[in-house]
Amino acid sequence: MAISRSTYGTRRLAIVLFACLLVALFLLPSQSQRLLQYVGGPLGQVLSLPLAAFSSVDHGLADMWNGYVALQSVHEENRQLHRDIELLKGQNNQLRESVTAVQRYEALLNFKQQSPSQTLAAQVIGRDATNWYRGMILNKGEGDGVRTEMGVITPAGVVGRVVKTNSTSSVVLLVTDPNNAIAGVVQRTRDEGIVEGTSHGRARLKYIPLLSRVQAGDRVVTSGLTGAFPRGLAIGSLIQVEKSEGDLFQSAEIEPEVDLSKLDEVLIITAPYEDADAAQKLLQAIHGDRKKP
Amino acid sequence: MKFLLYLLLALVVVPLQTTLLHYASLFGVRPDLGLIAACLVGFLGGELDGLILGLILGCFQDMLSAGDLWINVMTKGGSGFLAGLAGRHMAHITPAVMTAGLAIISCLSSAVFLYSMNPAGLDEVWLGVRSTVLVQAGLDAAVGAGLYLVFRQRWSDDRMVTEGAL
Repeated sequence: MAISRSTYGTRRLAIVLFACLLVALFLLPSQSQRLLQYVGGPLGQVLSLPLAAFSSVDHGLADMWNGYVALQSVHEENRQLHRDIELLKGQNNQLRESVTAVQRYEALLNFKQQSPSQTLAAQVIGRDATNWYRGMILNKGEGDGVRTEMGVITPAGVVGRVVKTNSTSSVVLLVTDPNNAIAGVVQRTRDEGIVEGTSHGRARLKYIPLLSRVQAGDRVVTSGLTGAFPRGLAIGSLIQVEKSEGDLFQSAEIEPEVDLSKLDEVLIITAPYEDADAAQKLLQAIHGDRKKP
Repeated sequence: MKFLLYLLLALVVVPLQTTLLHYASLFGVRPDLGLIAACLVGFLGGELDGLILGLILGCFQDMLSAGDLWINVMTKGGSGFLAGLAGRHMAHITPAVMTAGLAIISCLSSAVFLYSMNPAGLDEVWLGVRSTVLVQAGLDAAVGAGLYLVFRQRWSDDRMVTEGAL
């Protein structure tokens, strides 16, 4: 009974307080606002904690939506762009390769126009079928006028000579093969010798006279004595001269002028001298150079 | 029919050998696909098949090599024939046997090449052995054993079917 009376009193008190608050809000709005703000400060702080937690969850959900679910199309777009980039990279590489090829062809053409020899441009399409010969396969054969023993060069110098032909292709034995021999001359001293390949992938100038003063760094060029090459084409530079006691001749190791591992196009010498005038001019030029101090 | 098949195989193997195989080279030495093909066919198909394929492959390789025209015909044909003889006298051909057999046949074949090069002295012979013969034998054995492992199951199935039919 006492409890019931107490509860009734509290409820009545609460109703009275609420009524007073309403009256105060209506009659004294500014003062009641200030009071509410004063009371609401600490309450707001307490509320901020769960608010922040829920907000972070909301942001997480929003991020997940935007980053994964809503970005499905963007992901596809990104993949497409990557494919496009790869395609463009490929095209770019092809264009760069084309530019390089054009530059090489231009150099070959210039050389061909200046050279006194009649030449035929050919592409390297393969390497020797075995590991035992340093050779390469060209895309020009008997059908194009290529015959065995023809010389093969680049604007940089001598490459080798044709040893086999068929109707559409030919095999070239490189200057670095031990089975190859080309007549050469040391440009400075005019000493003649035979250039042969070595087992180490270089070449060697043999049969240099004992009294010759050849030295490392001297350039070796073709002598023109063999039919395949005109006079004066670069073969390489001497890197080491060997003179053994009791030998009748000196020999010297040659670093070939042409990088034979990176050949794409070459010129086949179909006729060493295009005409007698050209040969005469070349000889005059060579003799003119020799007379200079 | 088999002859045509071998011809087609040679038309694939030899151009592959001359063009793309430098990507698979070790110290500048490439595996000899012609030798490997002749030996595999010899081991698995008999000495006549090995000999025929070896001759075809050798002929094509000689056309695209700076060496004499007989050397590949002889070495590839002989290799195929030898492999066929070896295969006939073995009860079980395992990858290990195949590896060892290919290495031995490759060394023999390379010895013929080395002899044909007329080396100036023993130094050049050793140089050839170290720089080419042994490397090529290793590559040939490895590639041949790999191909044998790939095709072994199919070959065994074919053989079982053939034996069943007989």
